Amino acid sequence: MNESLRQLTRRHFFHDCGLGLGRIGLASAMAGGFGNLARAAVSNPLSPRDTHFGPKAKRVIFMFMAGAPSQLELFDDKPKLRELDGKPIPPSVIAGQRYAFIQPNAAVLAPRFPFAKHGRCGAELSDRLPHLTGIVDDIAIVKSMKTDQFNHAPAQLFLNTGHGLPGRPAMGSWLSYGIGSEADDLPSFVVLKSGGNLSGGAAMWSAGFLPGSHAGVPFREAGDPILHVSNPAGFDNQAQRDSLDLIRKLNERELGTVGDPEIQTRIDAYEMAWRMQSAAPELMNFADESPATMELYGAKPGDPKSAYANNCLLARRLIERGSRFVQVYHSGWDHHSQVEAGVTAQAREVDQASAALVKDLKMRGMLEDTLVVWGGEFGRTPMVEASAALGRSMGRDHHPQAFTMWMAGGGIKPGVTLGATDELGFNVVEDPVHIHDLHATMMHLLGLDHTKLTFRYQGRDFRLTDVHGHLVEKILA
Amino acid sequence: MPGTAYLTRKTLTLSRPATDAISVPYFLMRVLLSAAFLFPAFFGTLSNCVAQEVSFQRDIRPLLSDRCFKCHGFDDETREADLGLHLFEQATRDLGGYQAIKPGDAAASEVIERLISDDPDEVMPPPKSNKPRFSAAEVALMQRWIAQGAKYEQHWAFEKPVRPEVPAVADSTSAHAIDRFIDNDLASSGLRANGKAAPHTLIRRLSYDLRGLPPTVPETDAFLAAYASDPVKAWENLVDSFLASPAYGERWARDWLDLARYADSNGYEKDRPRSIWPYRDWVVRALNDDMPYDRFTIEQLAGDMLPNATVDQRVATGFHRNTMLNEEGGIDPLEFRYLAMVDRVATTGSVWMGLTTGCAQCHTHKFDPITHTDYYALMALMDNADEPEIEVPVPGLEKRRAEIEKQMQAMEAEALAQIDEARYQEWLAGQKASRTRWIALPPTSAKSNLPLLEIQPDHSVFASGDFTKRDVYEISLDLSAVGDEPVTALRLEALPDPRLPAGGPGAAYYEGRKGDFFLSEVTARVDGRPVSFAGASVSFGKISVGSGEARGSNIYDGDGSTGWSTSSQEGIANELVVQLSEPISKGGQLEITLLFERHFVAALGRFRISATTASSGGAANSSHTPDPFTASDPDLRRGYTRVAPEFESYQIDYDSLKKSLPEFPTSLVMQERPAQNPRTTHRHHRGEYLSPKEKVKAAVPAVFEPIREGDSANRLGLAKWLVSDRNPLVARVAANRAWSAFFGRGIVKTLGDYGYQSAQPSHPELLDWLAMELVEKGWSMKHLHRTIVTSETYQRDSKVDSLQLEKDPDNVLLSRGPRFRLTGEMLRDGALQSAGILSSKAGGPGVFPPQPDSVVELAYGGAGDWKVSKGEDRYRRSLYTFSKRTAPFAAYLTFDGPTGESCLPQRDRSNTPLQALTLLNDPMFHEAAEALARQTGSGQGTDPVEPGGVIEVLFRRVLIRPPTTVEKSEIVEYYEKQRTSLAAGELKTEMIMGDKTLATPELAAWKMVARVLLNLNEAITRG
Repeated sequence: MNESLRQLTRRHFFHDCGLGLGRIGLASAMAGGFGNLARAAVSNPLSPRDTHFGPKAKRVIFMFMAGAPSQLELFDDKPKLRELDGKPIPPSVIAGQRYAFIQPNAAVLAPRFPFAKHGRCGAELSDRLPHLTGIVDDIAIVKSMKTDQFNHAPAQLFLNTGHGLPGRPAMGSWLSYGIGSEADDLPSFVVLKSGGNLSGGAAMWSAGFLPGSHAGVPFREAGDPILHVSNPAGFDNQAQRDSLDLIRKLNERELGTVGDPEIQTRIDAYEMAWRMQSAAPELMNFADESPATMELYGAKPGDPKSAYANNCLLARRLIERGSRFVQVYHSGWDHHSQVEAGVTAQAREVDQASAALVKDLKMRGMLEDTLVVWGGEFGRTPMVEASAALGRSMGRDHHPQAFTMWMAGGGIKPGVTLGATDELGFNVVEDPVHIHDLHATMMHLLGLDHTKLTFRYQGRDFRLTDVHGHLVEKILA
Repeated sequence: MPGTAYLTRKTLTLSRPATDAISVPYFLMRVLLSAAFLFPAFFGTLSNCVAQEVSFQRDIRPLLSDRCFKCHGFDDETREADLGLHLFEQATRDLGGYQAIKPGDAAASEVIERLISDDPDEVMPPPKSNKPRFSAAEVALMQRWIAQGAKYEQHWAFEKPVRPEVPAVADSTSAHAIDRFIDNDLASSGLRANGKAAPHTLIRRLSYDLRGLPPTVPETDAFLAAYASDPVKAWENLVDSFLASPAYGERWARDWLDLARYADSNGYEKDRPRSIWPYRDWVVRALNDDMPYDRFTIEQLAGDMLPNATVDQRVATGFHRNTMLNEEGGIDPLEFRYLAMVDRVATTGSVWMGLTTGCAQCHTHKFDPITHTDYYALMALMDNADEPEIEVPVPGLEKRRAEIEKQMQAMEAEALAQIDEARYQEWLAGQKASRTRWIALPPTSAKSNLPLLEIQPDHSVFASGDFTKRDVYEISLDLSAVGDEPVTALRLEALPDPRLPAGGPGAAYYEGRKGDFFLSEVTARVDGRPVSFAGASVSFGKISVGSGEARGSNIYDGDGSTGWSTSSQEGIANELVVQLSEPISKGGQLEITLLFERHFVAALGRFRISATTASSGGAANSSHTPDPFTASDPDLRRGYTRVAPEFESYQIDYDSLKKSLPEFPTSLVMQERPAQNPRTTHRHHRGEYLSPKEKVKAAVPAVFEPIREGDSANRLGLAKWLVSDRNPLVARVAANRAWSAFFGRGIVKTLGDYGYQSAQPSHPELLDWLAMELVEKGWSMKHLHRTIVTSETYQRDSKVDSLQLEKDPDNVLLSRGPRFRLTGEMLRDGALQSAGILSSKAGGPGVFPPQPDSVVELAYGGAGDWKVSKGEDRYRRSLYTFSKRTAPFAAYLTFDGPTGESCLPQRDRSNTPLQALTLLNDPMFHEAAEALARQTGSGQGTDPVEPGGVIEVLFRRVLIRPPTTVEKSEIVEYYEKQRTSLAAGELKTEMIMGDKTLATPELAAWKMVARVLLNLNEAITRG
């Protein structure tokens, strides 16, 4: 009877046992008039969803540099700034802009590091990214990123959810809603974090108005990686299994008496919880990684100094096991003061592992269908930030008008640099890529039309890209 | 009652033919049927395979709204081809020899041509719109509607509800109006209603619904006994006793706080704690007192504007202070105030009007009749308020405070009486000889970039209204007050004022310390000539947020990032004195410019400028004793007792008394702005803060009757309008919300949206009946709740058979009792109650039950923000758990609890493995399981406890019902196996038991059993 109940009820497939497992973008399918999308879903509600068209990427790893790295110290060299170092920026350039800390009369600050061309593509990078130079022919650098927000929390939310306030679904949640999960014992949308606290907070991996099971599952830095995934104190696996067996037996009896198919869903959820309990330790145990791999990333399990490297490796292990979207946050890029020392230290923490992830994926043949994105929530000002009250000097303030990100893998054209900023690095002058465009492009690579993946909430069909977003064709392979 | 009619009488009996008619595979159709209420536009088609009068309301508008209004609807900015299909006049007007819709003549109606066209340039909706094409059945429906005259009707929700007649139903067993409405639809569905649920199920259902808690064993026993003799009477008594329980207000407050987006922290990056729990307690009290819903509404929206508003009524206005506050460094504070207003409009729309106003923030609503201007007019009604924090006198504390204040007065009077006159006069003479003589300069004008500056009788200036992070004050002062002597120095006093945050002197209210200020630069001119400074001194200087020094000379160094601040001395006067490079002789007009520039609001809230002619120029005085030249005699004497050595012991005693004054809790409130400083509201192009356009006049949306004459177009006027009969939605929305709480789904399924895009009501007449019952019975929510739970419909068994599942999987028709998963809060409260450890302490600041450190570590402030409460507070009701927006209590969030970031009309009810992990492994639930096991008496006496009896106790506490024999034997088997392992040391008793003093294998094994029970679907579900 149970199977037939499952087949029959909508509740099962609207409220299945979660973690994004087998969920259909039903509202959008309805709006789209029941094409293949819906039919495929109905015939097997637990399978991963069909996409709108053939995907180039099946999964995403997003290395989120929280705090906003300085593009002027890493990617976007500006000789003119060196020339004008210490002089006030022309008022015509800055007029009308709002800044978080600096005043409009701030002076220009020259890029702190030498730049050089690398690889066959000749992409220009500063000397702070020695490992990235090694994979520069595998990535696409976008120097013309733009965002709407000039404070951390709103800008981080904007990059994660397409909106500057909490309450909208994260990219990973949209993906889970749109194409379901391939993992049946691990979460589909996972959040990893290192380097300190995040301004945007939990709203960055919230499912917003989508069903709660599409929310990102944050892995914890201490204790259980997934909350309560370990057996309780004193319980061995046998005791845990005995308990689950009794729960199951009693639940099945209730199902027989009451007939509510939701009970079957509950039984399934408990079984999946059990599978997660055994999958999680296996996932977290890096013993099966070769010394070469560990060295490539600079991963050292348990060492807080290698937290980012460990997370990059963990991200690869997650996508190997079916996770769709792994968000790797690394904080500490907010260099309002002493940008030189700050960028040096941060780059040292992330450069090797970021590059290693791309290399490793490539070696394993996974890069071709894994989309890798690297970048922060905005850029930093060409002007210096200094404040006696705050004890700041030689820093840079937030700059939403122009910044740099890079992408690799899954349908991204390797070895290109897209876009350009003006000679002061102040505004984008060529091929602007707004955050909405980034989202549209990511969705496209995943086989989804960003205008079609919608969810009706409060009387309106919402999208990740709101009413915006253009495909960035020039970086498509 | 159109919605119901088509579903019940037609759809449910025609599944096969209908599917064929619109060429959807049969299996898919079965699934779709269940979603009929989700997507009425689609399902409108099904009903019309059988000929009948086409209804615009039911059949046509959903189609038009879904597929046409986006380009041919209310928004004339985006209207295509100048054609609107939302109004009869527009749709039927002459388009040059033809009409889009020609009433009575479908063939001559252009719209039909377009719907069936094969030409991609002609067909509607156009392919690029991503809207589905009209099916053959839908086109036929349109044709028939046009043929029948293309009658337009007002959307049902915008018509005033009238109390419908209660239908007479032949085979209804009940005289209860609700049952008559429900049974009326059920009768034609082919489904039979379930009988009454078992009494232990009933008491558990009612207890969770009305109190959010399971019943206790004695309550259950008493009810079962009473029920056996007179079920009706027993039920009514039970309902009354639960409605009267203080737990009732706590349970229903949770639902209301979801709407109010209540939280105990500010949200956004810093997410610092805030004190607004007095508002939460107000809600609990109001609900327990059954405050009529109209008054409940008015006090929350505009309590401060009621005549002689009480503190309670002001606290109630915390409803709209639950918006978030961004304290991130460098934000534009007015942008986030604007965003808070956007939230207030959205929340007011959802809660009282059932309307999604959000679309109209950026442009005229495409689906509902709310224009872009309507939206800002609605905002304007609420926009004219300041947002202070007030002290909330607590009765016990108030008395204690008064006692101490009385003691202080007596002590002071005694000291004043003991003054030795000669010594006092000597001191006074000394003061006059040593202190600089300052003359307050009367300001002749005071202007700023934005804050309102008002000149006070004491020549000080008071600032109020809106502040920015770069404020500039320009003060003109009359130097003639000084006389003929040349002015050698100027003094600026930063003065406290009770109207300012933390008593001032600054206006800072976020990020920096409350009441802080930061004076960056001061410039002065006399009769147009610049005045230069040659030194400065301050009575006190300290900067908050940052490491800089607060020297007086910072204010004329030309660097805006240095300045003067008196952080940590909030509520206390301080002064800055600047020496003039050259004395000003015979000056006329002194112009002073003050610049306040920080990464947060940091202007002065009250200050005074004085001048001296003393040849030495004078210096800032840091003694805090009154000015010997200007202060009154009593003030001077008081000042003397504060410093004179012979009063040392008095000073110590007085200060320690003062320190012991208990502080009142504070709460965030709304306060209508004074008449001299009204805020203007603008329409914002595309909803953007930086694009204000023309001013708008405060009003309710034009689709409704306006605010009654005699009421003002302000917050109070809005509040009164919302609960008047001019708002056709308020009672329906409130009644539907209550219905949904009891039945797991609303009569209108979308609890926050009753507009054109919303789902059709399943029982429209019942909804109106409930709405009118609410209004006509004095807006009593308790009456409404009593009415619902005394119906047979509510008391039905929730078992489901295959026919019910097939025909009505969502139980829309309520042939069976409702079943749904409990909320995370109820699960925790229920576990604690079953375990006998739930605290009944009500109210007060939020508490911190245990959860893993890693939960709060994810938030900006880190784990230090969550210090687990000790003692009773560990076991308080979940309503009192501190609600931190960026790191909500993990167990509640896992069960779809709110974050408090925006109004939540409806919680999701997911069913996930993470929930299983929480219930299985969270130490909090283990603690409850252990306490529950102890309730059985096992392990604590010398007598062996009979397992069957223990299981009985556990069942009655958790599931309320007794166990069956089979269940008992299965559990005993598990128990014996675990007990044996524990006794043999294979499982470690002392590890399983939290309380090591009671670590027997028996008790540990019972704890394991208790945990299993808490994890059962039956325990998690209110069936």
